[in-house]
Amino acid sequence: MARVITITSGKGGVGKTTTTANLGTALAMLGQRVVVIDADIGLRNLDVVMGLENRIVYDLVDAVEGRCRLRQALIKDKRFPELFLLPAAQTRDKDAVSPEDMIALTNELRREFDFILIDSPAGIEGGFRNAIASADEVLIVTTPEVSAVRDADRIVGLVEAYEKGHPRLIINRLKPRMVARGDMMDTSDVVEILAIDLIGIVPEDETIVISTNRGEVAVLERNSLAGRSFSDIARRLLGEDVPMLVFEERQGVWGSLIGRLRARRSER
Amino acid sequence: MSFLDTMLGRRRESSSHVAKERLLTVLVHDRVKLTPEDLENMKREIIDVISRYVEVTDPGSIEVTLTRGDQSDHLKADIPLRRSR
Repeated sequence: MARVITITSGKGGVGKTTTTANLGTALAMLGQRVVVIDADIGLRNLDVVMGLENRIVYDLVDAVEGRCRLRQALIKDKRFPELFLLPAAQTRDKDAVSPEDMIALTNELRREFDFILIDSPAGIEGGFRNAIASADEVLIVTTPEVSAVRDADRIVGLVEAYEKGHPRLIINRLKPRMVARGDMMDTSDVVEILAIDLIGIVPEDETIVISTNRGEVAVLERNSLAGRSFSDIARRLLGEDVPMLVFEERQGVWGSLIGRLRARRSER
Repeated sequence: MSFLDTMLGRRRESSSHVAKERLLTVLVHDRVKLTPEDLENMKREIIDVISRYVEVTDPGSIEVTLTRGDQSDHLKADIPLRRSR
C-alpha cells in the first residue's frame, strides 16, 4: 500500500515542483514504485520539469471525469519504468476536481504503488485542499526568507487543522555564503520559528536550472549538491538515518573565484 | 554592513537577525487569528470593564499589544489611570 505524501508551501516559487520531481525520481532510483501527481490544475508544470510534456494524452481531470481510465492517464518516465506522472489539466481550473475525487483517485493507485507524491499548488484555497485531502504525510517546502517562512507557518497550522499529523520541513535554496555573513536566516532559525521536524536542507544550486532546462532532474546529476540533498531526503523517507549535509564555501583564491560549494556530513 | 562602517567601528545588526525578529513578531499576530476589528472590539470591552472600577484617563491612549514570550505569547494592555488623591 502506497504512502501518499503531499508537497506544499503556501508561497509560490519556493520549489515545490522541483522537490516533487526530484524526490519522485530519487525514490524510483531506490527501487520504489512511484506516481507523482500534479495537483496544480490550470498551471501544469510537473510535466515540463520532468521532461514528459510531449507524452501527455490524458490528464487528471480526464481520469476524474471518466474520459479515460486512470491507468491511461499515467505517463511512464523516460528512465525508470516504475515511475509515473499523472499530469494536471492545463485548460481547466481547480474547481474541476473535489477533495473527494482526489481521495478516490489516490485510493485506486494505492494498491499498485509504494509512493504517491502530490505536488500542491500555491495558496491555501481549493487547490491546496484538493492536494492535501488524501495525504498521509505532508512535506512543507520553504526558503529562508520572511515571506516564505510566514506562509509556511500558516500551512503548518492548516495541516494540523486538517489532522494530517506533523508535517516535515524542507529548507530549499539555502545560500551558505549569505548565511555565513549574517544576511540569510540559518536552518536553525527557520526550524526554531516553525517548530516542526526538518527532513532536509537543499542549497541554492545552478544545476537545478540547468537540469530543468533540459527536462532532467538534478538527482540524476552526479555533481549536483541539490540533487544529493534530494536523494538524502528520499532515503530519510524510507526510514534511513542519513546525517544532514553541511555546506561550506571552498576556501582560498580558487574557492572565491569559482564560488563553488562543497558539503560534508554533519557529525553526530 | 559596508567596509567603511566596519572601519569606523559602526556595528549594525545582521539582516538575518532582523528577519528572524520581524518574523517572530508577525507570527504572534498571525497565530492568534484576531482580526483588527476583533482587536478593536476587545479593546473597547476591556475599557468598559476597567472603567467600572477605576477612572481611566483617556480611552484613546490605551494600548493593547501582542508580544512574544519565552513560554507563551502575551496580550498586554497598557491603561493609564487618572491620578487622584
